[in-house]
This record gives sequence, C-alpha cells and structure tokens, in this order.
Amino acid sequence: MSDHKQKGLPDLVPMTKNQVMDIAMDLGKILLKSGAETNRVEDTMMRFCRSYGYYDLNVFCTPTIIILGDESPRGKSRVFRVRWRATDLGLIMDINQFSYNFRRWKMDHVQTKHWLQNRLAQSHPYRNSIVCLASGVGSACFSMLLGGDVYDFTGAFLAGFLAMSFLKTVDNFHPTPFWENFMAGMIIGLATLICNYIEPECTLESMTVGALMPFLPGLAFTNGVRDYMAGDLLSGNSRIAEAALFALSIAIGLAFVLKAWTWGGMP
Amino acid sequence: MKYAEAFVFAFFATVAFGVLFQGPKRILWRSGIIGGIGWVIFIVLKNGFSIHSFSANFLATIAIAVISEIFARVWKEPVTVFEIPAIIPLVPGLGMYQGMRYILNNYVNFGNEVLLGAALDSCAIALGIMMVSGIFRALKTGNDFARQRQQDLLGTEISPELYVTDPENEADNE
Repeated sequence: MSDHKQKGLPDLVPMTKNQVMDIAMDLGKILLKSGAETNRVEDTMMRFCRSYGYYDLNVFCTPTIIILGDESPRGKSRVFRVRWRATDLGLIMDINQFSYNFRRWKMDHVQTKHWLQNRLAQSHPYRNSIVCLASGVGSACFSMLLGGDVYDFTGAFLAGFLAMSFLKTVDNFHPTPFWENFMAGMIIGLATLICNYIEPECTLESMTVGALMPFLPGLAFTNGVRDYMAGDLLSGNSRIAEAALFALSIAIGLAFVLKAWTWGGMP
Repeated sequence: MKYAEAFVFAFFATVAFGVLFQGPKRILWRSGIIGGIGWVIFIVLKNGFSIHSFSANFLATIAIAVISEIFARVWKEPVTVFEIPAIIPLVPGLGMYQGMRYILNNYVNFGNEVLLGAALDSCAIALGIMMVSGIFRALKTGNDFARQRQQDLLGTEISPELYVTDPENEADNE
C-alpha cells in the first residue's frame, strides 16, 4: 500500500481499501442484525470509510440488505443479505461509541477484527428465562398503566410469560414473523380467556392489552417514521409494512382464539 | 398518589423492555427513570390538562429526549440506549391493536379512525425525537457537519488520485 495516497485522518493506522470495506461491512452487519435504524447503519459505515480517506465508497442499506459499493472504475462492491434480526441495545451502543471514536482509533485491521469478535461473543447478555420473566413483568406493568387491578396484574403476567416462553421454545425452528406473532396472539388469547374463566374478576380487555405490549411493533413503527424523516423512503416503507403485518398477525391470532372459544360453547 | 403509582409501574415496564431489548445492566435503571418521568408527563398533560393525545405525546417525547441527552452527557453513553426503552410506554401499541381488532370485527370505519390516531401519535413521538436530537447534534458538531457537507459535495474532486485506474497499481493495492 502506498501511504502517500491516503487522505485519512492523521492518527489512524493506515488500511487498504479492501480492509476498510471489510470492517465497514462487519460494522453494518452487526448494527443491522441488532436492529438499528438504516440511517444509523449508513452513517456509521460512511463515517468509517471517510475517516480513512476513501471518499469514493458508498453505502445503500435497507432493513434486509446492505450494499457497499466503490464508485471508482474497476471498483468492487459487497452485498450482504440480512434475514434474521434480533434487538440488542448493548451491541448498538458499543458500535456507536466506536463510531464516534474513529479519529482516535489505534488498532489495525486484524486487531479491529478481534475486537469486534470479542464484542460479538458477549452479545445477548440475558438468558431466555430472564427475558421471559421480563416479558411477564412488562405485560403486568402495562396492564396496570392502562387501568387494571391486582387480578389483571397477575393474569397479564401469566399471559406474557407463557407467550414469550413459547416463542423462545419454537425459536430454533425459525418460524416466519407472521406465524411467530400469530402463535403469540393465540397463546395470549388462550391464557387470558382461561384466567377470565377461572376468576371472573379479571377483565379480558386490560389483561390482553398488557400482555400484547411486548409483541407489538411499536418500536418498528417509530423507527419507520424516523427513517422517513431521515429521507430513507424505502426503509421507512418496509419498516411500516413490517409493523402493520405484525399488528395484523397478532390481531388475527387473538381473534381466532376468541371466535373458537365461543364456537366451542364456552361462555 | 395516582401519579406516583403511574411512575412506579412505568419505571418497571421500561426496565422490563430494556431487558427485552438486551440493554446492558448499567443503563436499565436510568432509562427506567426517564420512562417513568415521560409517562407521568404524558398522563398529567392528557388527563390533568385534557390536551389532545398528539400534543401530549409530542411534549412528553421532547421531555424524554432532553433528559436522555442530559443523561447521555453525564454518563458518556449514546443517547438512543436511554431513548428507545423510555419511549416504549408512550408508543401507541394499544391503538394499533384496537384498530386491527375493530377492522377484523367488521367495524372498518371506527378501526380506521383508531389506526389513524395511532399513526399520528407515533408521528408525534418520532417528530419530538428528531427535533431534539437534531438541535443537540447541531450544537455539538456544527463545524464537523459543515466540513462533512463540503466533503460530500467535493469528495471526488478533492482526491482525484484516489481513483485507481491503472490495473497494475490496483493489483499492488490488494
């Protein structure tokens, strides 16, 4: 590598264009897989490329694909297809911190790769049981926020806990998001109906609403609007379509159980 | 007393969502405090002053975003990790669910109305976050932005030698 060509920031260890593309791609993959907005992914990757002086690299990113292209003649481009996404705030946080420290970054290509791998090994710090418990607690608190009492608190806790445990159990089979949310809706419906059957003090509405909160795509919807406002129309469209699909599938699952309950002759 | 109760439950709901989103342990209680404050502001504005839910959402989100920015400066963390769990109590999941259910039960007009209300509320949330983060970012890195914009416009002309046109030279670069 001829160093005199590089117009990067002065403190950085120089990297070739291939290495920069490699690490930028890794950053993008990690961010998109842990559920960051596309605007943030593009911003981080562009900032990384530019801080090393490669102004002719361009990024295009939607919720399902990252394309990192080279504008120059004979430039190579890289594509990565993202299929499964899972929210991980800790990873987003650390990569973001890294992206604001680019100008003081002292590691070369191999060390950066190692750093990223180490960070990835510590992703998803909470075990499934804790996540299920958190889902139950969140459901219960939401049912109280939206006007419930102690009975609703208990019922919503049970429903949220059961639905999330079921989802974590079938997670290995990689069901499509539609089926995942459909089954979550069904289990929530069943749990709340049984609670209501055993103890009529539990009101169906506030239990259901509380238990649904962890599965509702509120974050996807807000992210979609944020994408719109940042000018990423394609990502905004697809995120909002995703949110609508999720809400629809939960509602279908729930309505199915409610109808089936009455068809079955239960009160 | 009612508001204290609301604060406690919003706190625990926000912490639970922080765990669901796999947030690190050290930020959980901080985002919980922000979420509780935001929800209490929303409830006070909506029920106490009977403001329309769009404006109530907007003002509560602005409060959340400003407190998140302050917390982020104090504890040297990115802003979004405080914001994302903290806005969850405000997100109109209830409206989306109810709208879908009305539509499935054949009350299409009413369902549309509820869904539109939910969409407006999330627009208010996104608007508040974008406004506050835009202002703070402009305050922090105004000069950086100006320089970057110049580089955006002139990027290819500043460094024409970055264009590798010679195949042998390119092979050398690998």
